[in-house]
Amino acid sequence: MKKPESAKGYYSLLPWIIPGAFVSVWALFSYTGLIPDYLLPHPLTIIKTGYGYIFSYNTSSIYSGRFLSDAEASLMRVFFGFICATLCGLPLGVLSGRLATVNRLLNTFVNGLRAVPGITWLPLAMVWFGIGIKTTVFLVALAAFFPIYLNTAAGAQQVNIRLLQAGAMMGVGRIRGTFSILLPGSMPNIITGLRLGLGISWAYLVLGELTGVPNGLGAVIMDARMLGRVDMIVVGMLIIATVGRLSDGLLVTFLKTCFKSARRMS
Amino acid sequence: MKRNLESIALKSIPIRKKPVLEVVNVSKHFDLNGNARSVLDDISFSAASGEMICIIGRSGCGKTTLLNILAGFLMPSSGVVKVNGRPIRKPGPDRCVIFQEDTLFPWLTVRENIAFGLRSGTIGDKHSIDSEVDRFLTLVRLHEFQHYLPREISGGMKQRVAIARVLILQPQVLLMDEPFASLDYHTRREMQNLLLAIWMELNQTIIFVTHDVDEAITLADRIALIDKNSGHIREVLAVPLSRPRKTEIPEYIFFRKNLYESL
Repeated sequence: MKKPESAKGYYSLLPWIIPGAFVSVWALFSYTGLIPDYLLPHPLTIIKTGYGYIFSYNTSSIYSGRFLSDAEASLMRVFFGFICATLCGLPLGVLSGRLATVNRLLNTFVNGLRAVPGITWLPLAMVWFGIGIKTTVFLVALAAFFPIYLNTAAGAQQVNIRLLQAGAMMGVGRIRGTFSILLPGSMPNIITGLRLGLGISWAYLVLGELTGVPNGLGAVIMDARMLGRVDMIVVGMLIIATVGRLSDGLLVTFLKTCFKSARRMS
Repeated sequence: MKRNLESIALKSIPIRKKPVLEVVNVSKHFDLNGNARSVLDDISFSAASGEMICIIGRSGCGKTTLLNILAGFLMPSSGVVKVNGRPIRKPGPDRCVIFQEDTLFPWLTVRENIAFGLRSGTIGDKHSIDSEVDRFLTLVRLHEFQHYLPREISGGMKQRVAIARVLILQPQVLLMDEPFASLDYHTRREMQNLLLAIWMELNQTIIFVTHDVDEAITLADRIALIDKNSGHIREVLAVPLSRPRKTEIPEYIFFRKNLYESL
């Protein structure tokens, strides 16, 4: 979409209108005292707490300057969980999308498993892996697997058989056909699957960090709840929203940089 | 009328060289709820090197099924297809197909689509691939569109890319399945002329499936008629017209009338 120059500034403002309005209404409620501070702190308190959490200017707070170590811990958990989910979900998705036998073999099992809410795995995961990174990685991997697997399978299934036939007649074998026709052809669905998977990874990160691990963005939120620090809870939520949005953008950029099909088909 | 057709058939061009493609007693039936439905019945014909054969028949007569068998996408229920005397078993670059619908890879540019088959083999270094691609881009007159994506070019251009993409592999036989059916009248005429030019330049053997009587007469050396009910080749007619073919001359009109009536 090409827009005239004058409309461009307005267009780039568009995504910020709703957040801006939201914060304004929030500030209004706080000023007038309609909502007490212990339920929803003033936006300025949030900014102050967030600033201290990230840049550690106020050393009196117990959360001061913890951001880097928390973010690092959480990013590692999301990263490893997401990678595990991708390594299982992509190949199985391609196989089950193309081969009726594999589809029949996997479908009942995967859909049965999918019907079990992720949170019910928490107790079992704690028994198996104890408290720490492994439980969280397991939960993240499990949750992210389903959207990746299902979307990849749908994408592989929708690839026009004529494209594969065209490849076969041009002397492309099965292995090369998979990498140079099937995967690029399923790319739009694969991207959707990976983005949904990464999104849900952040949700399950917080779930995994509820178990009392000492650091992590989710752990900070739970910690703040126990200490009644609502401002810190909100800061944690905002940071997860920001990091989640950034990681999504990073994922899309990465795919578009590495794959022609991702650049040209979406 | 029957006699007229026979007298034309007798003028059939004698086969000059040994056949590139031989179709020997090919039959195909599909199982539908336990009932075998015969689609093709005992089809036999052969194509000499550099010959253009049109297969014509009404829709549902099994033209596409026959082409799928020639391509190796389907196995015949009985009979055999040979290329240069060797029976075929699976799809391969010696028998390339141009489909009716767009089968270009949407994530590759025009140039990359044409180079796809060469890159998939082990043949040639980058430089010789590049010069080959340039040659075929010029042949289908798409040089200035080489960096466009398929979605950015017209239907006729897409079919030209599809033609270049397989001709670059130097197939023994080019199989075309109503490739111009979805194009408008003028584009279709242009494409037919382009195909004829390429055919003459490369001396390419072509099997062209169509339901369009005029298209068949414009293009073919010989026309094979498939009967819709029996799935059998009713007759193979040599087109007794010199090239380039003019549609206004009485011989054309006479031949067209006969062909149309025997369909």
